[in-house]
Amino acid sequence: MEVLPEVDCEEDVTITDDEEDDDEESSLSNIRITPTVTHIAKPRPQVALSKCPSSYKENSSQEKLMAAMAENFRQQYALLYPDRKALLLCPVNECSVQKFVSTTLRSTLLPYPELYDWEGCASFVADYLSLELLDPPFELPKQLSSPTWVLQTQRGTCFDFSIVLCSLLLGAGYNAYCVSGYATKEMCLLDQSRQECPLLQPQIQDKTEEPKKPMKKYSVKPPRDLHSNFERRQEEKQQAEAEAATLKKQLDAERLQKERERPPPDPLRGLRVHCWVLLLSGNREIPENFFIDPLTGKSYSTTDENFLGIESVWNHQNYWVNKQDCTFGCNEMTFDLGDLSKWEYVLCGQSLSIISDPKTLEEPEDEEEEEMDELKVFEMPPSWVTTIDISPADMEMRYPGGMKVIEYRKAKLEKFAPYLLKDGLVTKLTTYKDLDCTKASTIKEWFKHRSDHLDERELHTDSNVTTEHFRPGRSDALKYHRYVTLVPETERQMDFYSHIRTDGLARRIEKPFEMTETFENRTDFLFYRNAVYGKQIKVIRAGEALEQRPLQRVEERFHRDHSKPASKDVAERIFVVSDRRIQVTFHLEDDRIIPAWLNFIKPKEAADSQKAQAFTPQMVSGFQVDPSTKPYTNLQLYEMLVELMREEENVELHIRDSEKEVRSILSSREKEDSNTDLLISIYNPTRNEMARLHMEEKERMAKEKKQRQKEKELDLLAPSQVRLGLPEVLTSQDALQLKTDCLNEFKQQLFNKASLIQSRIEKETEELQKKQLWYQKNYLTMSNEDEDDYLAYCSDAMFRIHVLKMRLIRHKERAPQKYLALEEKLKRHPRLASHFL
Amino acid sequence: MKDLTNDEPKVIDEEMLKQAIEEQGPQGQAGDISKKEGIQYEDVLQLRLDYRNILKIFHLWHFTSLTKLQLDNNVIERIEGLENLTNLVWLDLSFNNIQVIEGLEALVKLQDLSLFNNRISVIENLDTLQNLHILSFGNNAIAQLENVLYLRKFKHLRTLNLAGNLICEEESYKTFVTAYLPDLVYLDYRLLDEQTRETANTKYKYAVEAMQQNELQEQQAMEAQKISNEELQLHKDAFVEFLNGPQLFDSMFDEDPDGEKLALLPGMESKMEALCVQIFDAGLTQHAQRTAEVESFFTCSHEAVADNRQKAAQIAADFESSRRQVMEMQQITDVELLEDNISFCQEQASQLSETLMSLELQLVDQLEDIFKDFERNISDMVGGFIEYVHTFAQCRDLENQHHEQQLEIALATLEKVVKNDIDCYKDTVTNAVSASHDTHLLKIDNREDELLTRINSWMSGLLKSIHDEEVKRNRKRVSEIRNYVSYVKDELEDMRMSEHH
Repeated sequence: MEVLPEVDCEEDVTITDDEEDDDEESSLSNIRITPTVTHIAKPRPQVALSKCPSSYKENSSQEKLMAAMAENFRQQYALLYPDRKALLLCPVNECSVQKFVSTTLRSTLLPYPELYDWEGCASFVADYLSLELLDPPFELPKQLSSPTWVLQTQRGTCFDFSIVLCSLLLGAGYNAYCVSGYATKEMCLLDQSRQECPLLQPQIQDKTEEPKKPMKKYSVKPPRDLHSNFERRQEEKQQAEAEAATLKKQLDAERLQKERERPPPDPLRGLRVHCWVLLLSGNREIPENFFIDPLTGKSYSTTDENFLGIESVWNHQNYWVNKQDCTFGCNEMTFDLGDLSKWEYVLCGQSLSIISDPKTLEEPEDEEEEEMDELKVFEMPPSWVTTIDISPADMEMRYPGGMKVIEYRKAKLEKFAPYLLKDGLVTKLTTYKDLDCTKASTIKEWFKHRSDHLDERELHTDSNVTTEHFRPGRSDALKYHRYVTLVPETERQMDFYSHIRTDGLARRIEKPFEMTETFENRTDFLFYRNAVYGKQIKVIRAGEALEQRPLQRVEERFHRDHSKPASKDVAERIFVVSDRRIQVTFHLEDDRIIPAWLNFIKPKEAADSQKAQAFTPQMVSGFQVDPSTKPYTNLQLYEMLVELMREEENVELHIRDSEKEVRSILSSREKEDSNTDLLISIYNPTRNEMARLHMEEKERMAKEKKQRQKEKELDLLAPSQVRLGLPEVLTSQDALQLKTDCLNEFKQQLFNKASLIQSRIEKETEELQKKQLWYQKNYLTMSNEDEDDYLAYCSDAMFRIHVLKMRLIRHKERAPQKYLALEEKLKRHPRLASHFL
Repeated sequence: MKDLTNDEPKVIDEEMLKQAIEEQGPQGQAGDISKKEGIQYEDVLQLRLDYRNILKIFHLWHFTSLTKLQLDNNVIERIEGLENLTNLVWLDLSFNNIQVIEGLEALVKLQDLSLFNNRISVIENLDTLQNLHILSFGNNAIAQLENVLYLRKFKHLRTLNLAGNLICEEESYKTFVTAYLPDLVYLDYRLLDEQTRETANTKYKYAVEAMQQNELQEQQAMEAQKISNEELQLHKDAFVEFLNGPQLFDSMFDEDPDGEKLALLPGMESKMEALCVQIFDAGLTQHAQRTAEVESFFTCSHEAVADNRQKAAQIAADFESSRRQVMEMQQITDVELLEDNISFCQEQASQLSETLMSLELQLVDQLEDIFKDFERNISDMVGGFIEYVHTFAQCRDLENQHHEQQLEIALATLEKVVKNDIDCYKDTVTNAVSASHDTHLLKIDNREDELLTRINSWMSGLLKSIHDEEVKRNRKRVSEIRNYVSYVKDELEDMRMSEHH
């Protein structure tokens, strides 16, 4: 075992130049691995290195051979390409042992469904680890830790990121490779402050265009257009010009803006070392090769301009060095790793089998194996890394310390693990008006597991408008809420899950003097109600003064009820409360364009001095579509009016109910916001205390049951058998002996018990008699207290004696039964039964 | 309130009706209004004529919208005079002296019928009353349990009262009724429980099943009949009924007494049949084409009309809302402003009338265009079919051929049989053969003529109906617009007048 170096020694920060680097490399040429201080990267004191398994701390013979071959390769490479930079072949691991990079990959498939596809893996790695920058940025890292170590410490360089991601992807069955190369500054430094936040990008809606209706044979021709074509063309021309001008202006402005925002040129461009992952097409239905940047978890095309060059790629089986020219980035690179003119492999004979589909190669493999044997192909040694394991708790925590902050262009994204924050916040996106991120324009928050089912909240700082989205499950069926303040009778919009509500309310929009409600799927066909209020007045109701806004006008609209004729089916009714008028409009008949309507004026109610106004036909006016139909009789009109007046009262009640509901929702929202509980699913045993207790209880019960079962099976014969010297097979004589022994013993036991109880009774009685004697002697001189004590003692003792006597009687009763039961049991005992049958 | 001691039987008369309606009609202010206005018998929905010693139902034919009629506790002996009360849902004839169920055929909407406490012995004459839910025959003279089977017809029947009849004394009464009326929920004031049902089912299982089987077979036969009727109707619509087989050929010989005597030449029948089937197939395909054509025309024209209607309705609604705003300004004191508003509105009204009219005219033009197209196409199609139908000429040829051969053979045979006197027999034979030939030709001609006349009348009928419909629609719309505009103008004029005063 190697001696471990001091952990907290600092690395020399000075930039090592090429010469030094070469020296190092030559020192590495020695196969015996002697870690030097310079090989140790930054200290990571949290995890004890000594706990690492032995494969971490030493090299197997195969690995040693591999290292030798790598060294050989390196020398040849250095000779052939003296201009090129050194390759990352055998860096040291966290235990300062040199390991070949391919063996550091440990393909693992974890039992989490989200890690089954590359998007999930990439975003997990990007979220789970925090980045350590390469130092200096244009040098390869000296140390390449195992993925298990990286996952434990949750920090690593871009190389560590790639190794972890590549391991997961290989485990999931992807054709993945780690790529060592060069990238732009933004990419290497994980600087996304020039990128748009992905959450802000407008979602591309795939508009499924409606299939154009086939031109029907008898479709009518549109009416002739009587406008001048020339004029129209002129107008169009003008419009197009104007549009072009504005577009140009806009483009100019954008260009200018971009110019202003462009970062200063990077002096190290093309030199910054980066490591990322390459996914080749073929496996898992990947149609095209692409890169994944492990730091952000985003995918890029292989021609993306952020990737400036590739030195080498490797997977768990082989290592290839790029021979293509990368002066102009990766634009023209091909990733056919079998092409010897473009890629140089380290281990021969394997390149083919890796690149082509493993399935198709299954059969000829046997034949090839023989060939390979002849060629003495050296296979990549198995990975020295133990299986990657991530606990569910870590998986849930996801971010280092449970939170992560990413800065984008004009936006800041904060992510939190669920249950980490008290209010259930998981994501918070703040967008800013300026590039320096000082003036916030919107704050958008996403929540999880909240008991009030709040899912999303957005605050526009300009208009001070808050919008909230809720998941289904609230008792008030609230779905969406837009408001400025939570004070009633102000401007707001509430959407509801209408199918849950009994009144089918879908939306309620409030303005200071107006409330509009829309409904869905109501049995009375109502779909719209609009109420207009007047100035607030004091109303005295049930003895207390209420501030209430009087209704001025209520408008209701109905869908067509096909069980009624159209001319009798009300489409719209307007109660003009302030004017004492009611307006009813009926539905259009099938082939009409003008609806019938009726206009009622409400008769005055009886007041103190006046009698109620009688109904007269002059109070009704209206329009009848078909002059030939019979007009309404006065009786019908009167009945209609009475009905409408009743409805008016109902409508007012409904509206007041709505107001009440708004008030109650607002107050409950306020309460919920100030004090939220997080819901814990019953399927979440780590958090759900009740569920866990229940589980534990269940386990305990099972255990106890088992225990009891065991006791039940306690062998009755064992003690007697021991006395007989444990014979293997019982003779029938032995059996008889055993039985009688057993029974006798039990008899004795019963007898002992009886005598024990008897003796206790005697003892108690004796004591009681003694006490009585003592009392008779001294009762004249006794104090009251002592007498009381004595009396208490007497009754106590009498009680004890009584109980004991009862027990004795009971025992005597039960003893013969018990004895018989035992005898029966012995008869049926498996070891004796054979002898008594 | 009724004088029950006065037991002189009465007939329903005007006075009684008026009184009853006034008593039972709306009360309070509504009653005053209705009294002032006079009551229309057609509008009365409910009428109660109980405890009035009525002997004869009379004078009820005006009450066409009546839904509930109570005639209980009278002395009615015959059910009559109810034919016009087709909207009745509820009819109570309990406590009368009815002996026979009759006169209820027209009351198809009836759901609740009570004939409690009468003298009925047979349940009958209720076949048309398929909507019956509740039936009461209690306290009657029904003695035969088989009467219950008649009630199986009523699929909606849930409540039945037979208590107080002779059949109730039979031991198996309850189980019998339960078994044969499985959808019944209440019998004789009580809910039928599961246990009764079970015992009934086990007891009458086989009988009921057999009955169900019969009913099912009847139903199937009816359905089969219906299907074949539909098929025939389809063939009729295609004008080629009875041409898909040897029917024409058979009919040619059916009414030909001489033909039967003359030997039939082989091959004639099959050839004839083939020709008929040819026409038949062509007829069906062409019919399908014609139907598709008609359908497409109708969908398009309806679309156009609906489109136009929507536009017009929108325009009218916009105008109406602006008009109402003006009407609400009545309270404005500024006379000039009001005057301005009124004249503006009047102007708008005339403009509206113009817009709507031009929209209507445009639609008329459009429809006329497509109608012309359709007319041309459909007459082309009919022409094509008529041309095809000239296949009948081939039938005629065939018949001619047949006739010649027959004549030849007949003469040859005649020659063989009777060598002398050939001339006198020759005429007879020739006459017989040509008579038969003439009948045959006539048959074919008739069939062809019938086909042609029918298809032509169908076409002209269709085109005429389309045209008429369109004219009707147009007139309706124009009158609607005129009516509305004149109404609006009148209103405005009224307003101006009231202002001036």
